[in-house]
Amino acid sequence: MAMRLGSNAADRSGSIATTGADAQLRRPGRQPAWTLPAAYVVTVLALVALNFLLPRLMPGDPISALYTEGTASYVQDGGQREALRAYYGLDEPLGAQFVAYATGLVQGDLGTSIRYQVPVSELIAERLPRSLLLMGTALVLGTGLGVLAGAAAGWRRGRRLDRGLLVGFISLRNFPVFFLGSIALYVFAVKLGCFPLSGSSTPFVSLEPLARAGDVAWHLALPAGVLATEFATGQFLLMRAGMVSELGSDHLLGGRAKGLGDRVLKYRYAGRNALLPVASLMAIHVSAMVTLTILVETVFRYEGLGRLVFDAIRFRDYPTLQGCFLVLTLMVVTANFLADLAYRRLDPRVTT
Amino acid sequence: MSVLRSPLALVGAGLVAALVVAAVLAPVIAPYDPGAASGTSYAPPSLEHPVGTNNLGQDMLSRLIWGARASVSVALGATLLALTIGVVVGVGAALVGGLVDTLAMRVVDVLLALPRLPLLVVVAALAGAGRLTVTVVIGLIFWPPMARIVRSRALSLRRRGFVECARGFGAGLPYLIRRHLLPALGPVIVALFISVASNAVLLEASLAFLGLADPTGVSWGLDINRALAEPGIYFTSAWLWWVLPTGFAITLAILGFTLLGVGLEPVLNPRWERGS
Repeated sequence: MAMRLGSNAADRSGSIATTGADAQLRRPGRQPAWTLPAAYVVTVLALVALNFLLPRLMPGDPISALYTEGTASYVQDGGQREALRAYYGLDEPLGAQFVAYATGLVQGDLGTSIRYQVPVSELIAERLPRSLLLMGTALVLGTGLGVLAGAAAGWRRGRRLDRGLLVGFISLRNFPVFFLGSIALYVFAVKLGCFPLSGSSTPFVSLEPLARAGDVAWHLALPAGVLATEFATGQFLLMRAGMVSELGSDHLLGGRAKGLGDRVLKYRYAGRNALLPVASLMAIHVSAMVTLTILVETVFRYEGLGRLVFDAIRFRDYPTLQGCFLVLTLMVVTANFLADLAYRRLDPRVTT
Repeated sequence: MSVLRSPLALVGAGLVAALVVAAVLAPVIAPYDPGAASGTSYAPPSLEHPVGTNNLGQDMLSRLIWGARASVSVALGATLLALTIGVVVGVGAALVGGLVDTLAMRVVDVLLALPRLPLLVVVAALAGAGRLTVTVVIGLIFWPPMARIVRSRALSLRRRGFVECARGFGAGLPYLIRRHLLPALGPVIVALFISVASNAVLLEASLAFLGLADPTGVSWGLDINRALAEPGIYFTSAWLWWVLPTGFAITLAILGFTLLGVGLEPVLNPRWERGS
């Protein structure tokens, strides 16, 4: 049960790195310690290579379309066109292009945005904190909510509370996140009027720091809420399954025989063991988050990295799109790496 | 078939069947041309237009029915592609073993670690988001997890008596695959098919929602993209018949596959049949 729900959650969310089933297949304990970092280094190199090759090898030659007159994505501004040509360096041989690209990357040069006409790295540096705030809030809220609800439901398996929560969370899973966001906007922002309709803060006003923080939180509530709901669902199912499989275990019976109270048994005995897969799912959620954040920020017009991706698509702003892709995917890979490390620490059976 | 015993799986099968019927028969059952104005803009639901019309006066019911076509064709194409590559690589790696196996699984490892939607977004944005491109890219994204599951199944099958026996009698690799491995892998492949199809439906809708779809085509995600781009959409009641039914169409399509998948779960992993 736990395995199925775990891997499903991963499937839905866009990455698969360490589902329960996957971790088992990989048997990390049987590999020497250096293979794990090595695998991730290869992944990062693959990402950089992909980011370099994709625009160059794509059919239809999207990059040269930027400076070929008469195409839909032709860049009107002459100076910009030259800057783009220099950045992509298409006149050079492929090897020289890659050296130039890699050197720029190491120096933090991700090219210049076609739409905003500023370095992509500056754009990302400006948007990243907002996205991190959104993701962090949602991850903490969602995990907390999912774990508590899952523990409650699993402990009282088959009762009305369990059935209600189970049906509710499973139905929620089938809603695409952008549709859920639109419904939340319609209900809470339009009909009830208690949250803003768009944005990440009220523009063009100067506020005291405290009022500014309140304003940011007010704008954060709906997108973070929707994102948290998505995470809570996976955690709920996993935690519930973990609790259920703990119910008949010997150490729980032993604890009960010792005369331990219900709370201690529920959280310290059953809950603690059920938390292990939850911890690894949290890391999967970091990769899922990247996907979901793009969609959620688009619905709520929240000015983070995800919204930047959406705008970059609309304006064929390839340097921005690729810069975001690189940053977002590196975040995912880093999270997966940390998860693999954490998993080894948490589960004593996995020896390094 | 044990699937038919579960009422949930039956509901799922019904939903998927409805989706496929709508997709196949779209030209016959849709009351209007989905791309042509057939009424006034923002007409609320009426007898003529049961789900109302959008900003261009296009009939929403017809667009919902034609949207199923985009969903099903992308899901079917992508899933078949992913399955073919996944089965070939998985079975091949398991049977050949050795260096081929190690290399294949390292490649799978790296591909699995790549985040799917961002990759899809970049490729679709650069290559142009035609339906064929989206289908192929989704297919290419889903083969690594399949290859891994198929490989682990094939590995355990390889040591089973009937396969070793056939080998002992001198059966060649193609014969083994055709006569023994593929039939034994059948249930797993069906279950994988359903799980990937549901993900493909969601991915197609998500991409179209981000604006990555053929702009002249009809797609549920694209309709929601256009509706939400309309200024003031939330303040007209058009949200109720433009966004809501479209969103539910996507949700029901995914739900159908999910329920069908739940019904097939015991087939994929017999250990779960004992219940939890």
